[in-house]
Amino acid sequence: MTTFIDVDVRPILRSGRDPFSAIMSALDSINPGEGLRLFATFKPIPLFALMESRGFSHAARELKDGEWEVCFAPCDVADASVPLDAVSPAFDNWPGPTISLDNRDLEPPEPMVRILAAAEKLEAGQTLSALLGREPGFLFPQLEKRGFRWLGGFTADGTIYELTVKAPS
Amino acid sequence: MIGTSISRWTMTYFAVALVWLFVGLLMIIAGAGYPLAAVGSPDTLVLVHVICIGWLSLAMCGALFQFVPVLVAQPLFSGKCELPALVLLSAGLIALTSGFLSLGGRLPPAPWSLPLGAILLGSGFGIVIVNLGITALRRPTGPARFVLVGLASLAGAVGFGAIFTFALSGRAGSMGQLVLEAGIPLHAIAGLGGWLTLTAVGVSYRLLPMFLLSPDVDDRRSRITLIAGTLALVAAGFGGTISIWVGAETDAATSIAAVLAFISLCCYGRDLFMIFRDRKRKQLELSMWMATLSLASLMATASLIVVLLATRTFVSHVGAVAFIAVFGWLSGLVLSKLYKIVAFLTWLETYGPVMGRVPTPRVQDLAVEGRASKWFVIYYVSAWSGTAMLLNDQASAFRSAVVVMTIGVVGIVRELVRIRRLDDVPWPQRLPGGAVAPSLLFAKN
Repeated sequence: MTTFIDVDVRPILRSGRDPFSAIMSALDSINPGEGLRLFATFKPIPLFALMESRGFSHAARELKDGEWEVCFAPCDVADASVPLDAVSPAFDNWPGPTISLDNRDLEPPEPMVRILAAAEKLEAGQTLSALLGREPGFLFPQLEKRGFRWLGGFTADGTIYELTVKAPS
Repeated sequence: MIGTSISRWTMTYFAVALVWLFVGLLMIIAGAGYPLAAVGSPDTLVLVHVICIGWLSLAMCGALFQFVPVLVAQPLFSGKCELPALVLLSAGLIALTSGFLSLGGRLPPAPWSLPLGAILLGSGFGIVIVNLGITALRRPTGPARFVLVGLASLAGAVGFGAIFTFALSGRAGSMGQLVLEAGIPLHAIAGLGGWLTLTAVGVSYRLLPMFLLSPDVDDRRSRITLIAGTLALVAAGFGGTISIWVGAETDAATSIAAVLAFISLCCYGRDLFMIFRDRKRKQLELSMWMATLSLASLMATASLIVVLLATRTFVSHVGAVAFIAVFGWLSGLVLSKLYKIVAFLTWLETYGPVMGRVPTPRVQDLAVEGRASKWFVIYYVSAWSGTAMLLNDQASAFRSAVVVMTIGVVGIVRELVRIRRLDDVPWPQRLPGGAVAPSLLFAKN
């Protein structure tokens, strides 16, 4: 049975700050074989691929009021408490970006237009990276409909949103 | 769905809201209600509620269903209850205004009509408050906090209004009569100040920097605006309620509220100045220019209140203050933002699915700003002229100004319909690569 260390980032998210560094420092502090149980105010999808790349599978469960509990377990530990159907298929190792965009000083919705235009030029499995001033909320449904995957998050100072988009393989 | 999808019924709310705006304007032109009738007359009550609920509140609800998810980066709590809420609100407003018309003898007596209107409106707004409130509570930071206070104010305004309707139909006892006699300013403050103004201020804290490419106003700064505004509402709401309860005048509570509201407005003005000063986008588009005229009207409203209070003429000119607040500030802001929002949502709905695969028009290609600008100028100049006429007790000249204002609104609505129908996008680019034209009154997603 995996031991999970609880990390509750809901207060950080509610105060509008970025929880990334808190999650990373918790990750650095756990012992080999231990997992991380994360509590967040939304389903932290961008984190799944990152944790996957660090050797953790995940099982997400929605709590009340739209909050989520996600258990990140070390991949080499079989854990019967984690339902298999809740674990998303493994992310491949993402290649470095084929296209890099700096969309920080563009007026909305121009960042979205440029990202979609660039994304359509990617070959299967290639990635693009983009810097933005804001979280591109209206872009995500468009990427999802086209089968693209993405990872995104604000830098620690909260001024730049870094987005990586991967074309379907 | 991760991210923000297009709200299906936002356009429907906008369309119904515009219909009510025309009803209100035509009432003024026809001479129903203030200034030909007293401020408290049944006809004026019809007019005020048609404008504040039918026009402003429905337009605000439609915009919030789309933009609260943007503020909190979370999907709307429920996408299924917008339309039932719209039906309840429309039916409730019809029942309420019918009740007022009965009170004024224009319709046969129908004592159940006012309470029925209150119940329907309470149910409709209740659904809206729960849906938007739970969504905003998922990440209650910055602008979302303004929305939460605005929704609480809406609940307060609806609560006061419901008591009034039961009191007017003789079903609320002596306490109900007491609330009816003293509570109307509190009802108006909660509705116009808390719900409509504070919510609009909060949303502008996020949308203005977004479109002007300015740094976001720090939450700690915008919080001062919010705290002062909230304290003003608390002073008016709780202070006023306690005053009514103990049988005292509500003047002390409303005076404290006025001072706090003025502090809040000053903080907002300072933050607006910073947003405009620090913007990277130097050239403003039409909707932003027109929004600045509505912000100027807000500041003019506050200045007018101060001048009228100082000269002890506020009571006799309360209609002029209400007119510039409702038509210069709130309606001007809503019309200018509709021009932006309708273009953006139409563009996203039509071209989002094919974007990047084929060349698509830009958002600004859907609108012809040069043509629309004259309608906005006509609207604002006539709204300000109308205010001046009311201050000078020129009732017929005031109605002439409203005729011109209505012409301006007709022009703006025509532009909105043209945007929605893609009429100004040249044919080869209008529907490229299998793009589907949007429906006029709702989103097809």
